[in-house]
Order: sequence, then C-alpha cells, then structure tokens
Amino acid sequence: MTTEAPPNGTTQLYELYIKAPPEQVWDAITNPAIVAKFFHGARVSSTYEVGAKLRSLSPDGSDVWGDNTILECEPPRRLVHTWRSLYDPELAAEPESRVTWEIEPQPGGFSKLTLVHDRLDRSPKTAANVRGWSYILSSLKTVVETGDPLPPIR
Amino acid sequence: MDDGELVFKALADPTRRLLLDRLFEHDGMTLGELEAEVPQLTRFGVMRHLSVLEAAGLVATRRQGRHKFHYLNPIPIRLIYERWIDKYRDRAAAALLDLKDQLEANQ
Repeated sequence: MTTEAPPNGTTQLYELYIKAPPEQVWDAITNPAIVAKFFHGARVSSTYEVGAKLRSLSPDGSDVWGDNTILECEPPRRLVHTWRSLYDPELAAEPESRVTWEIEPQPGGFSKLTLVHDRLDRSPKTAANVRGWSYILSSLKTVVETGDPLPPIR
Repeated sequence: MDDGELVFKALADPTRRLLLDRLFEHDGMTLGELEAEVPQLTRFGVMRHLSVLEAAGLVATRRQGRHKFHYLNPIPIRLIYERWIDKYRDRAAAALLDLKDQLEANQ
C-alpha cells in the first residue's frame, strides 16, 4: 500500500534565516518576555514539556488567545504544539491544527527557522487568518537580530 | 542568505510570478501538478523556474514518501515589503500629515 499524499492547500510553510545561534532563536520562541515583543504583545506561559499546556493571553490578560498543548519539545531544535485561534469565535469553532517550529544551525552564525502550520484541512478560515505568520516571523527575526520589534501592523 | 537581489530577479519573470500565484491558491504541489498549471512550458522549463524561486527562498520543498511538495515561502516578500515599501509609504504619509498641519494652522 502506498502512502496517501496529503491534500493540497492545507499546509503552510515559512522559512527564514536569522543571524543568531539556534539557542538564541529557541529562547526567543519560548521566553515569554521575548514572545510578547513579536507576537502582538501576547502573554504566553508553558513549562514546555510534552503534554503541557501552552497558554496565551491578550496583553492586558483579559482575553484567552490560545490554550494549546505541547506535542514535542527538543530544545533548541524542534517544538510542536496544537493550534486553535481562540481570539476569534469563528476561528475557534474550527478543528485544531498543528504548528511545528524547526531550528537548524547554518554556517556563518545563522539559524534557519522553519515554521510549518498543517492539519488545516477542515479549518479554511484559520488557514486564511494565520497567513499573518509572515509578519510574526519577520518581527521575530528583527527582535532577535536587533532587540527591537517591528512597528505595530497598520 | 538574505540576498534581496535574488528575490527581485526571481520576481522579475512573469512565469515565476504565475507559479507563485498558483502556489498561493493551492499550496503544496508536486512538480507534475505545477507543470499542469503552466502547460505552455516544458517540464525542464518548470524545473528551471522552480530552481530560481528556490534559490531566492520564495519556494521551499518538503519530501513526503515518494512525493516532493512545493510551498510558497512568503517571508522574502515580507522582508522586501518592510525594507522597500513600508519605509517609503511612511515618508509619503508623513508629508501628508505635515501638509494637514500647515493647512489647519493657516485657518
């Protein structure tokens, strides 16, 4: 029996190079003080252990943006967690999807960061919404390389 | 690695822009599926354009079993946007705001 290919259009892939070692990129995606700088001011909390929750609140703490679960965690190379967009009721009603962060060391002191957002087959509105990863990830790059976030999106 | 020149050159070709548009609508296509999207090109032609897009970081590939899937990587376009478009838009916006201040001050 052959392996079935996944249906098209249900996986999003983002790749970027960051001038920093993998440990520094890992710290940026798991350290709440840094995540807040590139992720719309989100307040995240997690123990980053497999099975642990990855919770995310709005900057003032009044709204729950995410209540996800850590599926894999291999510092400083790989982090996998579930995704449901709780910041919007229409998106929250769609099935859970999955986010994989991969960090690979590169020559010249660079890291290659790949983010794969998949299992979006039955979550078309979420798929359209999370195209915003482009802005988040380029802001992450700016934060890691300069310490300052990009100006807020207009 | 962040060579904007490769991105501009890759985007300068209409067929390559067409391939990116097709991937935006329908991400994760195999070479065979992409070939069907541009029937005017030979298989070799499609591969050549894909390699230019890959070198510029605009297309990333993943293997799964026997299949190789092509994905649009929007990050280089985002970085160009921030580097080249946001900046000049800000300048135009600032000029308009100055004009508004002057006109209102004269009233």
